[in-house]
This record gives sequence, structure tokens and C-alpha cells, in this order.
Amino acid sequence: MNTNFNDRTALLHKIQAEDFALYEVALYLDAYPKNAKALRYYKEHKQLLEQLKRAYEDSFGPLTLYGNQSDTSWQWVDGPWPWEKEAN
Amino acid sequence: MWSYDKKLQYPVKIKNPNANYAKIIISQLGGPDGELAASMRYLHQRYSMPYDKVRGILTDVGTEELAHLEMIAAILYQLTQGLSAEEMKKAGMDIYFVDHTAGFYPIAASGVPFDMKYVGVKGDVIADLNEDLAAEQKARVTYDNILRMVDDPDVRDPIKYLRQRELVHYQRFGDALRIAQDHLDSKNFYAFNPSFDK
Repeated sequence: MNTNFNDRTALLHKIQAEDFALYEVALYLDAYPKNAKALRYYKEHKQLLEQLKRAYEDSFGPLTLYGNQSDTSWQWVDGPWPWEKEAN
Repeated sequence: MWSYDKKLQYPVKIKNPNANYAKIIISQLGGPDGELAASMRYLHQRYSMPYDKVRGILTDVGTEELAHLEMIAAILYQLTQGLSAEEMKKAGMDIYFVDHTAGFYPIAASGVPFDMKYVGVKGDVIADLNEDLAAEQKARVTYDNILRMVDDPDVRDPIKYLRQRELVHYQRFGDALRIAQDHLDSKNFYAFNPSFDK
């Protein structure tokens, strides 16, 4: 995996792609909870997504309420917010 | 985007079903000051809110309201588990049952279906935040009214929790209004429209 992400947007797009992959297989697993291939896919992509999210939060601020990394500032409220062009 | 936590924000464990209670508590699902209206109000107001801190408050309170909507649904679910058609009828729930069976359809206790008219979005910082302050108080009064009519401690406990959260949200919207006012022109403290005129 390429972990050299100093570009916030590139890392964000990678997270969105992995998040989508995971969500897609989750929807499938809702109906087929014993499918071994789908479960393997889920496990693989879950680990990748967790790594990417950790890398993002370390450099660019929290993705969720529970991801604030700073001891001196509540970065959760820092813009841009997801609906703004600059955030995408 | 949102993700779902497979747990309630606060436990709901009701031993005795009671259609009479369900009939009034459903107002917090789809009524004028219910949790659906609250969530939709804040999550839609945030897009035109120019201040990051206030966007944060609207996002987080709006998200918590969705968790409250789920708690109300859990209360209604447990209050109506295993009730016979006869018991439903005795409580006057037959007029709901005929259209929705055991389905969850957001209505006010009076039977009026959920209406987006309950969701105040003016696109103005001062108007919207004052709407929110009033909305939290109105929700608090509705919970007070429910507590006046419900004796079962299993039901009262999560209702009291939800009532308390309205008070906390009122405080946070008070902070939000202060933050917004700090951005206003001191010569025109109340009439200024910061989101439009900048």
C-alpha cells in the first residue's frame, strides 16, 4: 500500500473508495452472512480502511467525533465542512 | 456521511406493554416537537450556517436527535409488544392499527402525520438559532407532559433522560447564539443578517 499521502485530497479519495468497498460488501453480507469470499473481502478492506483513516486523522484532523488527536484544540469544528468544495 | 452504532444511547427496558402510553409517546416520533423534526431541523440548518463552531453544534445535536428518535421507537416497540387487537382497541389504537398495523409511522398523538412544517429553516443565523432554542424548550415541555401522564418507572426513566438532553441542547444552542452574536456588527447587534450581507 502506498502510505505516502501528503496530499489530503488524494488520501480522502482513497478512504472514500475503501469505505465504499466495505459498505458494498456489508450490504451483500446482510443477505448472505455466511459467504466466505465476502467475509474475506470484508476483513481485508476493513484493515486497509482502518490504516487509511488513522493516517488521515494523524495528519489532517478527525473524521468522526471520536477521532480528535490534539490535546490542545477541538479540531472537530475546523472547516472546511464536507459540503464545501474545498473539502472534496 | 453517517455510520450507525448498533446500540441505544441510553437503555430502554420496559416490562409491561401499555398501548395508552404508546398512544401519547408517539408524538415524540412524528409530532411537532418530536425527535424527527429536531434532527431534520438542525441537520438542514447547518448548510447555511456560516460559523464552524455552530456548524459543529448543529451537526452533533442533529445526529444525537437521530439516536433519540431510535430511543422513542424502542419505547414504542416495547410498549406495544404482544398486545392483542382487543387491548389496542381499548386504548383507541385501533384507528392507528387499521392503516399501519404494527408498523412505525411518524405521527403526532393527535393522528396528524409528520409534517416538514415542523422544521424551521429560515437560512438566517439569528432566526434559525432562536428557532432551535424554542424547539428544545417545546420538546422539554412535551416530555414534562408525558411524565405527568406516565407512572411506570420503566418508561419514565428513559423519558427523563431524553428530557434532560433537551436542557443540555438548549444550553449548547445558547452558546451557538452567543458565538453568532460575537460575529455581528456592534452597531446593529440584532437586526444584522450575517449569512447574507456579510
